[in-house]
Amino acid sequence: MSVLTLRLAGPLQSWGANARFSRRTTESAPTKSAVIGMLAAAVGVERGDDTRLAPIAALRYGVRIDQPGIRMRDFHTAHHAVTGKAMPLSERFYLADAVFVAALEGDYTLLADLHSALRNPVYPPFLGRRSCPPSRPVELDLHREGTLEQALRSTPWQASSWHKRQHRPGADIHLTVLREARPEEVDAANTLRDQPLSFAPEHRRHALRSVISDSVRFTHSLERRAVARHDPFDAFDAAEEKSA
Amino acid sequence: MFLTRFRVNTARSSSRRILGSPQIMHAAVMSCFPALLPSDAPPPGGPRILWRADHTSRAEVILYIVSPGRPDLTHLVEQAGWPAAATPIAPGWETRAYSPFLDRLQTGDRWAFRLTANPVHHVRRKDDEPTKRTAHVTPAHQMGWLLQRQESAGFRILERSAGQPLMSSVGASSGPTHPGNAYELAVHSKRDLVFAKRPQNGSPVGNKAPVQIVAVTFDGHLEVTDPARLRTVLTQGIGRAKAYGCGLLTLVPIRTGE
Repeated sequence: MSVLTLRLAGPLQSWGANARFSRRTTESAPTKSAVIGMLAAAVGVERGDDTRLAPIAALRYGVRIDQPGIRMRDFHTAHHAVTGKAMPLSERFYLADAVFVAALEGDYTLLADLHSALRNPVYPPFLGRRSCPPSRPVELDLHREGTLEQALRSTPWQASSWHKRQHRPGADIHLTVLREARPEEVDAANTLRDQPLSFAPEHRRHALRSVISDSVRFTHSLERRAVARHDPFDAFDAAEEKSA
Repeated sequence: MFLTRFRVNTARSSSRRILGSPQIMHAAVMSCFPALLPSDAPPPGGPRILWRADHTSRAEVILYIVSPGRPDLTHLVEQAGWPAAATPIAPGWETRAYSPFLDRLQTGDRWAFRLTANPVHHVRRKDDEPTKRTAHVTPAHQMGWLLQRQESAGFRILERSAGQPLMSSVGASSGPTHPGNAYELAVHSKRDLVFAKRPQNGSPVGNKAPVQIVAVTFDGHLEVTDPARLRTVLTQGIGRAKAYGCGLLTLVPIRTGE
Protein backbone atom coordinates (compact mmCIF):
# COMPACT_ATOMS: atom_id res chain seq x y z
CA MET A 1 0.00 0.00 0.00
CA SER A 2 1.09 3.59 -0.61
CA VAL A 3 0.43 6.58 1.59
CA LEU A 4 0.03 10.27 0.81
CA THR A 5 0.56 12.65 3.73
CA LEU A 6 -0.78 16.19 3.89
CA ARG A 7 0.01 19.07 6.20
CA LEU A 8 -3.08 21.06 7.14
CA ALA A 9 -1.90 24.26 8.75
CA GLY A 10 -3.50 27.66 8.66
CA PRO A 11 -4.55 30.51 10.89
CA LEU A 12 -8.19 29.38 10.78
CA GLN A 13 -9.67 25.99 9.98
CA SER A 14 -13.20 24.66 10.30
CA TRP A 15 -14.11 21.00 9.98
CA GLY A 16 -17.84 20.47 10.30
CA ALA A 17 -19.20 16.92 10.51
CA ASN A 18 -22.74 17.56 11.68
CA ALA A 19 -22.83 21.32 11.16
CA ARG A 20 -26.37 22.20 10.18
CA PHE A 21 -28.59 25.29 10.16
CA SER A 22 -27.38 28.33 12.07
CA ARG A 23 -24.86 26.63 14.38
CA ARG A 24 -21.86 25.59 12.32
CA THR A 25 -19.56 23.65 14.63
CA THR A 26 -16.12 22.24 13.95
CA GLU A 27 -14.64 18.89 14.89
CA SER A 28 -11.29 18.92 16.63
CA ALA A 29 -9.60 17.35 13.58
CA PRO A 30 -10.15 17.43 9.82
CA THR A 31 -13.03 15.25 8.65
CA LYS A 32 -12.61 12.71 5.91
CA SER A 33 -15.25 14.38 3.75
CA ALA A 34 -13.37 17.67 3.85
CA VAL A 35 -10.01 16.16 2.94
CA ILE A 36 -11.50 13.97 0.21
CA GLY A 37 -13.34 17.03 -1.08
CA MET A 38 -10.11 19.01 -1.14
CA LEU A 39 -8.31 16.28 -3.10
CA ALA A 40 -11.22 15.84 -5.51
CA ALA A 41 -11.29 19.59 -6.08
CA ALA A 42 -7.55 19.61 -6.73
CA VAL A 43 -7.87 17.00 -9.51
CA GLY A 44 -10.94 18.80 -10.87
CA VAL A 45 -13.79 16.43 -10.00
CA GLU A 46 -16.99 18.45 -10.37
CA ARG A 47 -19.67 18.34 -7.69
CA GLY A 48 -22.14 15.57 -8.54
CA ASP A 49 -19.57 13.51 -10.47
CA ASP A 50 -19.91 10.59 -8.07
CA THR A 51 -18.19 8.02 -10.29
CA ARG A 52 -14.93 9.97 -10.28
CA LEU A 53 -15.31 10.71 -6.57
CA ALA A 54 -15.79 7.06 -5.53
CA PRO A 55 -12.15 5.85 -5.85
CA ILE A 56 -10.87 8.89 -3.94
CA ALA A 57 -13.49 8.45 -1.21
CA ALA A 58 -12.51 4.77 -0.92
CA LEU A 59 -9.00 5.68 0.32
CA ARG A 60 -8.34 4.84 3.96
CA TYR A 61 -7.99 8.01 6.01
CA GLY A 62 -6.22 8.97 9.22
CA VAL A 63 -5.22 12.24 10.82
CA ARG A 64 -2.73 13.23 13.49
CA ILE A 65 -3.29 16.27 15.72
CA ASP A 66 0.13 17.93 15.79
CA GLN A 67 -1.04 21.19 17.30
CA PRO A 68 -4.62 21.24 18.58
CA GLY A 69 -5.25 24.97 18.24
CA ILE A 70 -7.94 26.96 19.99
CA ARG A 71 -11.67 26.78 19.26
CA MET A 72 -13.03 30.16 18.22
CA ARG A 73 -16.65 31.29 17.95
CA ASP A 74 -17.71 33.81 15.34
CA PHE A 75 -21.11 35.49 15.58
CA HIS A 76 -21.91 35.79 11.93
CA THR A 77 -24.24 38.36 10.37
CA ALA A 78 -24.67 38.79 6.65
CA HIS A 79 -26.94 40.45 4.13
CA HIS A 80 -27.95 39.01 0.82
CA ALA A 81 -25.85 40.55 -1.90
CA VAL A 82 -28.74 41.09 -4.32
CA THR A 83 -31.88 41.58 -2.23
CA GLY A 84 -30.19 43.26 0.71
CA LYS A 85 -32.25 41.15 3.08
CA ALA A 86 -30.69 39.98 6.36
CA MET A 87 -29.49 36.36 6.26
CA PRO A 88 -30.17 34.19 9.32
CA LEU A 89 -27.87 34.97 12.22
CA SER A 90 -25.43 32.12 12.70
CA GLU A 91 -22.64 30.99 14.95
CA ARG A 92 -19.59 29.65 13.22
CA PHE A 93 -16.79 27.82 15.00
CA TYR A 94 -13.17 27.70 13.90
CA LEU A 95 -9.91 26.20 15.07
CA ALA A 96 -7.26 28.89 15.36
CA ASP A 97 -3.55 28.06 14.99
CA ALA A 98 -4.00 24.32 14.52
CA VAL A 99 -1.71 21.97 12.58
CA PHE A 100 -2.67 18.49 11.40
CA VAL A 101 -1.02 15.74 9.41
CA ALA A 102 -3.55 13.81 7.34
CA ALA A 103 -2.68 10.52 5.64
CA LEU A 104 -4.45 8.61 2.88
CA GLU A 105 -3.69 4.98 2.16
CA GLY A 106 -4.40 3.31 -1.14
CA ASP A 107 -3.27 2.64 -4.67
CA TYR A 108 0.01 4.32 -5.68
CA THR A 109 -1.04 5.67 -9.08
CA LEU A 110 -4.12 7.37 -7.65
CA LEU A 111 -2.12 8.87 -4.77
CA ALA A 112 0.60 10.06 -7.14
CA ASP A 113 -2.08 11.78 -9.25
CA LEU A 114 -3.50 13.47 -6.15
CA HIS A 115 -0.02 14.49 -5.04
CA SER A 116 0.79 16.20 -8.32
CA ALA A 117 -2.71 17.72 -8.48
CA LEU A 118 -2.14 19.41 -5.12
CA ARG A 119 0.89 21.15 -6.60
CA ASN A 120 -1.14 22.40 -9.54
CA PRO A 121 -4.76 22.26 -8.38
CA VAL A 122 -7.82 22.81 -10.58
CA TYR A 123 -9.70 24.28 -7.61
CA PRO A 124 -7.42 25.58 -4.85
CA PRO A 125 -7.39 23.79 -1.50
CA PHE A 126 -8.86 25.35 1.65
CA LEU A 127 -9.15 24.18 5.22
CA GLY A 128 -12.82 23.34 5.67
CA ARG A 129 -14.22 26.68 4.55
CA ARG A 130 -13.41 28.77 1.52
CA SER A 131 -12.38 31.59 3.87
CA CYS A 132 -9.66 29.45 5.51
CA PRO A 133 -6.64 29.24 3.19
CA PRO A 134 -3.69 27.04 4.15
CA SER A 135 -0.62 28.93 5.33
CA ARG A 136 1.85 26.35 3.97
CA PRO A 137 1.79 23.93 1.05
CA VAL A 138 -0.70 21.17 1.74
CA GLU A 139 1.16 18.27 0.14
CA LEU A 140 3.78 16.81 2.45
CA ASP A 141 5.05 13.47 1.23
CA LEU A 142 4.24 10.43 -0.88
CA HIS A 143 5.35 7.05 0.50
CA ARG A 144 5.41 4.33 -2.13
CA GLU A 145 5.43 1.55 0.45
CA GLY A 146 3.93 1.56 3.90
CA THR A 147 0.77 1.79 5.88
CA LEU A 148 -1.15 4.75 7.18
CA GLU A 149 -0.10 3.96 10.75
CA GLN A 150 3.59 3.84 9.78
CA ALA A 151 3.38 7.13 7.90
CA LEU A 152 1.73 8.89 10.83
CA ARG A 153 4.36 7.49 13.19
CA SER A 154 7.34 8.46 11.04
CA THR A 155 6.30 11.93 9.83
CA PRO A 156 8.13 14.53 11.97
CA TRP A 157 6.15 16.71 14.34
CA GLN A 158 4.80 19.60 12.25
CA ALA A 159 3.79 21.97 15.06
CA SER A 160 5.01 25.56 14.86
CA SER A 161 8.16 26.47 16.74
CA TRP A 162 6.37 28.55 19.39
CA HIS A 163 4.19 25.55 20.18
CA LYS A 164 7.20 23.23 20.36
CA ARG A 165 8.95 25.59 22.74
CA GLN A 166 6.14 25.08 25.25
CA HIS A 167 7.36 21.51 25.74
CA ARG A 168 10.47 20.60 27.67
CA PRO A 169 13.25 19.10 25.48
CA GLY A 170 13.45 15.35 26.02
CA ALA A 171 9.82 15.17 27.09
CA ASP A 172 7.49 12.56 25.64
CA ILE A 173 4.91 14.04 23.32
CA HIS A 174 1.71 12.11 22.67
CA LEU A 175 -0.11 13.11 19.52
CA THR A 176 -3.67 11.93 19.01
CA VAL A 177 -4.28 9.95 15.84
CA LEU A 178 -7.81 9.49 14.52
CA ARG A 179 -7.78 6.76 11.91
CA GLU A 180 -10.26 4.62 10.07
CA ALA A 181 -10.86 1.32 11.84
CA ARG A 182 -9.71 -1.98 10.40
CA PRO A 183 -12.51 -4.60 10.11
CA GLU A 184 -11.51 -6.38 13.34
CA GLU A 185 -11.56 -3.12 15.31
CA VAL A 186 -14.99 -1.88 14.31
CA ASP A 187 -16.57 -2.79 17.66
CA ALA A 188 -14.19 -0.48 19.55
CA ALA A 189 -14.63 2.42 17.17
CA ASN A 190 -16.62 5.62 17.31
CA THR A 191 -18.70 6.57 14.34
CA LEU A 192 -18.71 9.84 12.47
CA ARG A 193 -20.92 10.68 9.51
CA ASP A 194 -18.19 11.98 7.22
CA GLN A 195 -17.68 9.24 4.61
CA PRO A 196 -18.57 11.18 1.45
CA LEU A 197 -20.94 9.54 -1.03
CA SER A 198 -21.86 12.56 -3.07
CA PHE A 199 -20.95 16.26 -3.06
CA ALA A 200 -23.84 17.12 -5.41
CA PRO A 201 -24.99 20.59 -4.34
CA GLU A 202 -28.67 19.62 -4.37
CA HIS A 203 -28.17 16.61 -2.12
CA ARG A 204 -24.91 15.95 -0.30
CA ARG A 205 -24.77 12.48 1.16
CA HIS A 206 -22.42 11.07 3.76
CA ALA A 207 -22.20 7.58 5.23
CA LEU A 208 -21.12 6.59 8.72
CA ARG A 209 -17.43 5.85 9.24
CA SER A 210 -15.75 4.03 12.12
CA VAL A 211 -12.94 6.00 13.74
CA ILE A 212 -10.35 4.64 16.17
CA SER A 213 -8.65 7.11 18.49
CA ASP A 214 -5.01 6.22 18.94
CA SER A 215 -1.82 8.07 19.76
CA VAL A 216 1.78 8.20 18.64
CA ARG A 217 4.68 9.07 20.89
CA PHE A 218 7.56 11.40 20.06
CA THR A 219 10.58 12.34 22.07
CA HIS A 220 10.75 16.06 21.79
CA SER A 221 14.16 17.42 20.84
CA LEU A 222 14.23 21.16 20.68
CA GLU A 223 16.63 22.49 18.10
CA ARG A 224 18.17 25.49 19.80
CA ARG A 225 19.33 28.39 17.67
CA ALA A 226 22.38 29.13 19.75
CA VAL A 227 24.70 31.91 18.69
CA ALA A 228 28.00 30.31 17.80
CA ARG A 229 31.06 30.98 19.93
CA HIS A 230 33.09 33.84 18.56
CA ASP A 231 36.07 35.12 20.52
CA PRO A 232 38.55 37.16 18.47
CA PHE A 233 41.33 36.31 20.95
CA ASP A 234 41.23 32.77 19.51
CA ALA A 235 42.63 34.18 16.29
CA PHE A 236 45.74 35.50 18.05
CA ASP A 237 46.61 32.09 19.42
CA ALA A 238 45.92 30.39 16.09
CA ALA A 239 48.08 32.88 14.21
CA GLU A 240 50.91 32.53 16.74
CA GLU A 241 50.80 28.75 16.46
CA LYS A 242 50.97 29.00 12.69
CA SER A 243 53.96 31.33 12.69
CA ALA A 244 55.76 29.45 15.50
CA MET B 1 46.32 48.84 17.81
CA PHE B 2 44.75 47.00 20.72
CA LEU B 3 41.87 44.57 21.08
CA THR B 4 40.07 44.53 24.40
CA ARG B 5 37.57 42.08 25.82
CA PHE B 6 35.34 42.92 28.76
CA ARG B 7 32.57 40.77 30.17
CA VAL B 8 29.56 42.77 31.31
CA ASN B 9 28.01 41.77 34.61
CA THR B 10 24.39 41.73 33.52
CA ALA B 11 23.13 41.25 37.08
CA ARG B 12 23.87 44.89 37.90
CA SER B 13 21.32 47.60 37.30
CA SER B 14 24.03 49.98 36.12
CA SER B 15 24.99 47.46 33.44
CA ARG B 16 21.48 47.58 32.11
CA ARG B 17 21.64 51.35 31.95
CA ILE B 18 24.85 51.13 29.94
CA LEU B 19 23.67 48.28 27.68
CA GLY B 20 20.29 49.93 27.25
CA SER B 21 21.60 52.96 25.40
CA PRO B 22 24.28 52.97 22.70
CA GLN B 23 24.79 56.64 23.56
CA ILE B 24 25.78 55.82 27.16
CA MET B 25 27.94 52.89 26.00
CA HIS B 26 29.66 55.14 23.49
CA ALA B 27 30.49 57.61 26.26
CA ALA B 28 31.70 54.80 28.52
CA VAL B 29 33.94 53.38 25.77
CA MET B 30 35.38 56.77 24.86
CA SER B 31 36.17 57.40 28.53
CA CYS B 32 38.51 54.37 28.47
CA PHE B 33 41.23 56.41 26.79
CA PRO B 34 43.06 58.75 29.11
CA ALA B 35 44.87 60.56 26.32
CA LEU B 36 41.70 61.25 24.33
CA LEU B 37 39.95 64.54 24.97
CA PRO B 38 36.25 64.96 24.09
CA SER B 39 37.22 67.85 21.84
CA ASP B 40 39.52 65.55 19.81
CA ALA B 41 38.02 64.57 16.49
CA PRO B 42 39.11 61.19 15.07
CA PRO B 43 41.63 61.74 12.26
CA PRO B 44 39.94 61.30 8.89
CA GLY B 45 41.03 58.05 7.29
CA GLY B 46 42.93 56.98 10.39
CA PRO B 47 42.24 54.24 12.90
CA ARG B 48 39.43 54.91 15.32
CA ILE B 49 37.79 53.42 18.36
CA LEU B 50 35.30 50.68 17.49
CA TRP B 51 33.25 48.60 19.84
CA ARG B 52 30.70 45.82 19.77
CA ALA B 53 28.61 44.14 22.42
CA ASP B 54 28.01 40.44 21.69
CA HIS B 55 24.84 39.25 23.42
CA THR B 56 25.46 35.52 23.32
CA SER B 57 22.92 34.75 26.01
CA ARG B 58 21.14 36.61 28.77
CA ALA B 59 24.06 36.46 31.20
CA GLU B 60 26.81 36.49 28.58
CA VAL B 61 27.44 39.90 27.14
CA ILE B 62 30.98 40.58 25.97
CA LEU B 63 32.16 44.01 24.97
CA TYR B 64 34.95 44.13 22.39
CA ILE B 65 36.89 47.32 21.74
CA VAL B 66 39.42 47.94 18.96
CA SER B 67 41.44 51.09 19.58
CA PRO B 68 44.69 52.79 18.56
CA GLY B 69 45.63 53.35 22.22
CA ARG B 70 45.66 51.08 25.25
CA PRO B 71 42.38 51.50 27.15
CA ASP B 72 41.70 51.67 30.87
CA LEU B 73 38.32 50.12 31.70
CA THR B 74 38.44 50.68 35.45
CA HIS B 75 35.24 52.74 35.45
CA LEU B 76 33.45 50.04 33.44
CA VAL B 77 34.60 47.37 35.91
CA GLU B 78 33.28 49.54 38.74
CA GLN B 79 29.93 50.17 37.10
CA ALA B 80 29.30 47.05 35.07
CA GLY B 81 31.84 44.41 36.05
CA TRP B 82 33.09 42.58 39.12
CA PRO B 83 35.15 45.23 40.97
CA ALA B 84 35.76 43.08 44.07
CA ALA B 85 37.26 40.31 41.94
CA ALA B 86 39.66 42.65 40.16
CA THR B 87 43.36 42.20 40.87
CA PRO B 88 46.35 44.09 39.42
CA ILE B 89 47.05 41.08 37.16
CA ALA B 90 43.44 40.53 36.14
CA PRO B 91 41.82 43.96 36.34
CA GLY B 92 38.49 42.69 34.95
CA TRP B 93 39.25 43.18 31.28
CA GLU B 94 41.85 41.84 28.86
CA THR B 95 43.75 43.88 26.33
CA ARG B 96 46.10 42.43 23.73
CA ALA B 97 48.15 44.01 21.01
CA TYR B 98 46.25 43.75 17.73
CA SER B 99 49.00 44.85 15.34
CA PRO B 100 51.01 41.56 15.30
CA PHE B 101 47.85 39.73 14.27
CA LEU B 102 46.99 42.36 11.66
CA ASP B 103 50.49 42.18 10.21
CA ARG B 104 50.25 38.41 9.80
CA LEU B 105 47.10 38.56 7.64
CA GLN B 106 47.87 37.13 4.22
CA THR B 107 46.07 36.74 0.94
CA GLY B 108 44.22 33.44 0.82
CA ASP B 109 43.79 33.14 4.60
CA ARG B 110 40.35 31.90 5.55
CA TRP B 111 38.64 33.12 8.71
CA ALA B 112 35.25 33.03 10.31
CA PHE B 113 34.06 36.56 10.94
CA ARG B 114 31.47 38.44 12.91
CA LEU B 115 30.31 41.94 12.14
CA THR B 116 27.58 44.01 13.70
CA ALA B 117 26.67 46.69 11.21
CA ASN B 118 24.08 49.24 10.23
CA PRO B 119 23.23 48.41 6.59
CA VAL B 120 21.69 51.43 4.90
CA HIS B 121 21.10 52.70 1.42
CA HIS B 122 19.92 55.97 -0.01
CA VAL B 123 16.55 56.25 -1.67
CA ARG B 124 14.63 58.93 -3.46
CA ARG B 125 10.88 58.46 -3.32
CA LYS B 126 10.10 61.13 -5.90
CA ASP B 127 12.20 62.40 -8.77
CA ASP B 128 12.65 65.93 -7.46
CA GLU B 129 13.40 64.88 -3.91
CA PRO B 130 16.80 64.73 -2.19
CA THR B 131 17.91 61.21 -1.32
CA LYS B 132 17.13 59.89 2.12
CA ARG B 133 19.11 57.40 4.17
CA THR B 134 17.06 54.27 4.81
CA ALA B 135 17.85 51.04 6.62
CA HIS B 136 17.92 47.70 4.83
CA VAL B 137 15.22 45.68 6.52
CA THR B 138 15.22 42.18 5.02
CA PRO B 139 18.04 39.65 5.51
CA ALA B 140 18.40 39.39 1.72
CA HIS B 141 19.06 43.12 1.36
CA GLN B 142 21.29 43.18 4.43
CA MET B 143 23.40 40.37 2.98
CA GLY B 144 23.44 42.16 -0.35
CA TRP B 145 24.78 45.25 1.42
CA LEU B 146 27.73 43.33 2.81
CA LEU B 147 28.35 41.39 -0.40
CA GLN B 148 28.57 44.72 -2.24
CA ARG B 149 31.30 45.90 0.13
CA GLN B 150 33.40 42.76 0.30
CA GLU B 151 35.70 43.57 -2.62
CA SER B 152 36.60 47.07 -1.49
CA ALA B 153 37.03 45.72 2.05
CA GLY B 154 39.72 43.28 0.92
CA PHE B 155 37.93 40.03 1.49
CA ARG B 156 35.63 37.59 -0.26
CA ILE B 157 32.75 35.84 1.46
CA LEU B 158 33.03 32.13 0.79
CA GLU B 159 30.42 30.35 -1.28
CA ARG B 160 28.41 27.67 0.38
CA SER B 161 29.13 24.21 -0.91
CA ALA B 162 26.15 22.63 -2.63
CA GLY B 163 23.74 20.47 -0.71
CA GLN B 164 23.76 22.27 2.60
CA PRO B 165 20.93 24.79 2.42
CA LEU B 166 20.71 27.20 5.32
CA MET B 167 17.45 28.93 4.66
CA SER B 168 14.21 27.09 4.13
CA SER B 169 12.91 26.79 0.61
CA VAL B 170 9.54 28.24 1.66
CA GLY B 171 8.83 31.82 0.70
CA ALA B 172 9.18 33.89 -2.40
CA SER B 173 12.46 35.62 -1.59
CA SER B 174 14.43 32.49 -0.77
CA GLY B 175 14.87 30.88 -4.16
CA PRO B 176 18.19 29.57 -5.43
CA THR B 177 19.28 33.14 -6.11
CA HIS B 178 18.85 34.12 -2.46
CA PRO B 179 22.28 35.09 -1.08
CA GLY B 180 21.54 33.08 2.06
CA ASN B 181 21.69 29.94 -0.01
CA ALA B 182 24.77 30.83 -1.98
CA TYR B 183 27.22 32.09 0.68
CA GLU B 184 28.62 31.07 4.04
CA LEU B 185 26.82 33.99 5.58
CA ALA B 186 24.06 34.42 8.13
CA VAL B 187 22.25 37.47 9.43
CA HIS B 188 20.86 37.40 12.94
CA SER B 189 20.14 39.45 16.04
CA LYS B 190 18.42 42.32 14.25
CA ARG B 191 17.92 45.20 16.65
CA ASP B 192 15.98 48.42 16.15
CA LEU B 193 17.85 50.92 18.28
CA VAL B 194 15.98 54.09 19.10
CA PHE B 195 17.45 56.48 21.64
CA ALA B 196 17.48 60.16 22.37
CA LYS B 197 20.68 62.01 21.71
CA ARG B 198 21.71 64.23 24.60
CA PRO B 199 21.83 67.90 23.61
CA GLN B 200 25.33 69.16 22.87
CA ASN B 201 26.69 72.31 24.45
CA GLY B 202 24.92 75.29 22.99
CA SER B 203 22.36 73.33 20.98
CA PRO B 204 18.69 73.83 21.76
CA VAL B 205 17.16 71.25 24.11
CA GLY B 206 14.35 68.92 23.15
CA ASN B 207 13.91 69.53 19.44
CA LYS B 208 16.14 66.65 18.32
CA ALA B 209 14.51 63.63 16.77
CA PRO B 210 15.66 60.37 18.36
CA VAL B 211 18.49 58.45 16.72
CA GLN B 212 17.16 55.37 14.93
CA ILE B 213 19.50 52.59 13.86
CA VAL B 214 18.82 49.12 12.53
CA ALA B 215 21.75 46.98 13.64
CA VAL B 216 22.23 43.40 12.46
CA THR B 217 24.94 40.86 13.14
CA PHE B 218 26.59 38.97 10.29
CA ASP B 219 28.32 35.64 10.87
CA GLY B 220 30.20 34.02 8.04
CA HIS B 221 33.38 32.76 6.49
CA LEU B 222 35.72 34.91 4.42
CA GLU B 223 38.91 34.68 2.43
CA VAL B 224 41.45 37.49 2.54
CA THR B 225 41.97 38.98 -0.92
CA ASP B 226 43.78 42.21 -0.02
CA PRO B 227 45.43 42.17 3.44
CA ALA B 228 46.15 45.92 3.44
CA ARG B 229 42.53 46.85 2.76
CA LEU B 230 41.25 44.33 5.27
CA ARG B 231 43.60 45.77 7.90
CA THR B 232 42.10 49.19 7.27
CA VAL B 233 38.58 47.75 7.60
CA LEU B 234 39.46 45.91 10.81
CA THR B 235 40.75 49.11 12.40
CA GLN B 236 38.36 51.65 10.87
CA GLY B 237 35.13 49.69 10.62
CA ILE B 238 32.47 49.14 7.97
CA GLY B 239 29.38 51.20 7.40
CA ARG B 240 27.64 53.76 9.53
CA ALA B 241 26.88 54.22 13.23
CA LYS B 242 30.40 53.28 14.31
CA ALA B 243 29.98 55.26 17.52
CA TYR B 244 26.99 53.13 18.42
CA GLY B 245 28.46 49.64 18.32
CA CYS B 246 28.37 49.05 14.58
CA GLY B 247 31.14 48.41 12.07
CA LEU B 248 33.60 46.34 14.13
CA LEU B 249 34.66 43.24 12.17
CA THR B 250 36.44 40.47 14.06
CA LEU B 251 38.05 37.25 12.82
CA VAL B 252 38.32 33.84 14.43
CA PRO B 253 39.72 30.56 13.08
CA ILE B 254 37.21 28.45 11.15
CA ARG B 255 36.29 25.50 13.30
CA THR B 256 35.53 22.40 11.31
CA GLY B 257 32.68 20.14 12.22
CA GLU B 258 30.32 22.90 13.29
